[in-house]
Amino acid sequence: MDPLVYILDFIVLVGIFSIFSLSLNIEFGFAGLANFGKVAFVLIGAYTYTLLSNINVPFFLCLIAGAIASAIIGFFVSLPTLKLREDYLAIVVLAFGEILKIIVKSEGWIAGGVWGTPVYPAISIAGSSTRLDMAINIALVYVCLFLSFLLLQLLTNSPYGRVIRAIREDEVAAEALGKNRAKYRAQVFALGSAIAGLGGGLFAQYLQFIDPYMFAPMLTFTIWIMVLLGGPANNWGALLGAGMVQLFDRGANIAKDYVTLPIDPGNLQYIIYGVLIILVLLYRPQGLLKESQVKTKAGESIFNGRDFAKNKGD
Amino acid sequence: MEEILLKIKGISKHFGGVYAVNGISLDITSGKIWGLVGPNGSGKSTLFNTVLGIHQADEGNIYFKDRCITNLVPHQIFDLGLVYAFQVPRLFQTLNVLDNMLVAGREHKGDKLLFSLFFRKSWQKKEIELAEKAMEILRLLKLDHLALSPAGELSGGQSKLLELGKGLMASPTLLLLDEPAAGVNPNLGRSMFERIEDLCQTGLSFFIIEHRLELLFDFAHWVYVMDKGKIVLEGKPPEVAEDPSFYHVYLGDE
Repeated sequence: MDPLVYILDFIVLVGIFSIFSLSLNIEFGFAGLANFGKVAFVLIGAYTYTLLSNINVPFFLCLIAGAIASAIIGFFVSLPTLKLREDYLAIVVLAFGEILKIIVKSEGWIAGGVWGTPVYPAISIAGSSTRLDMAINIALVYVCLFLSFLLLQLLTNSPYGRVIRAIREDEVAAEALGKNRAKYRAQVFALGSAIAGLGGGLFAQYLQFIDPYMFAPMLTFTIWIMVLLGGPANNWGALLGAGMVQLFDRGANIAKDYVTLPIDPGNLQYIIYGVLIILVLLYRPQGLLKESQVKTKAGESIFNGRDFAKNKGD
Repeated sequence: MEEILLKIKGISKHFGGVYAVNGISLDITSGKIWGLVGPNGSGKSTLFNTVLGIHQADEGNIYFKDRCITNLVPHQIFDLGLVYAFQVPRLFQTLNVLDNMLVAGREHKGDKLLFSLFFRKSWQKKEIELAEKAMEILRLLKLDHLALSPAGELSGGQSKLLELGKGLMASPTLLLLDEPAAGVNPNLGRSMFERIEDLCQTGLSFFIIEHRLELLFDFAHWVYVMDKGKIVLEGKPPEVAEDPSFYHVYLGDE
């Protein structure tokens, strides 16, 4: 196999998983919503993309439709639990992910049921090489990643970002300061689901095939490891975590061919993930990168002005 | 011109068989400092929590500016201008002190999802205004040098001050304070009450629970005394202080 293609494939997957981990980061990191059913919203994005692209809808509309479908369903799934403690949300969405997987598995008319279905790539050029296809995918994925990242950076460095962090810290106090926590949580959940749906569409068109087994709960937990490792409530941390976990994944796959172990390195990897999470939570609960402060122009202007005044006084 | 801001009519709240608040009625009018005292466990904080919608009242009704607020949720009550500073400070621990203050800002367009993303210019000015107001309050509370420290690193007394600051930041009509001076150093406690008096002159009203009676009685216009979930005494501070039943409540029958 062409080593360059291998590297390009790695780059594409890091991009897609970065989108997933960013979407979990806005929910869990910033707003404290423990979404243990992330895979459900990836699935919705992937299936929406597939179904629409199979009836020849242009790819960007398919991606947008996947994001919107995910957001709407995410909004309704979160609705009953938003006023309850956060662990209820975790249980509800975890179950929802499994239910959704079983539905697409048993309903053959939806994208081939258990057999899965091929997906057309978003952009295909007749007679192009694998390398070129990869390069196109990188461009597409990283444009989407850049837009998602920009959106979340703007959002988290705004008064809105401050409010959702406040709700995460103390929902009763935030409520007593006039913030409608249910509204904020529903919005964040819908936004997080939309970004996951976008990532799901990209995932499907890149792999050019989907089946229900790709959307096992392990995918959710992989995204969780990325967020916990990289640093919750830090968008750069989500990117770092996605890169590291993907690197780890690749490492285990390569090691499989060179190292003889009594167990399969692919499975060993999951054990190591588990240990890694425990270690991170014990010794560095803030993740590799710690939470970023809310940056708005106002705070800066106050302090620049004040320093200036102080210097003048001296 | 005085108007009735808060009207509590026969409010009861019980936890299991215990009546924490038992049929309390009282009126709070504008432009004054109102005190609420009573021994620990007499139901003062429960009364405040019930007024603020954090607990649901079992009986009775509460009116704020002639509007029934009995079944409203806390954020709706906040919108009407009734604000609460908690007894045990409830700060946003990982946010810095300035951000804690800014969360309490009122009518900020940047708090809305779409505005925060796509119409960023529309709230920049408001954000700076609020930040200036926050710094002014922080200077008053002598917390301005800590503005960029995480709220979780403040001492107990500083946390109380910040909790008060959040309340002031919310531009309330009536501010409910639950033991604002507890754990704050004596001088600062007094200057805090002096500042409360100043703010009262500008039309802000206060309803204050406080165990530091010497402070409260110097500044309050009217004091309610609560015991076992009921109002047992009310009056001007000097009258209350001289009433023998006041000592009964605090010291028992001996």
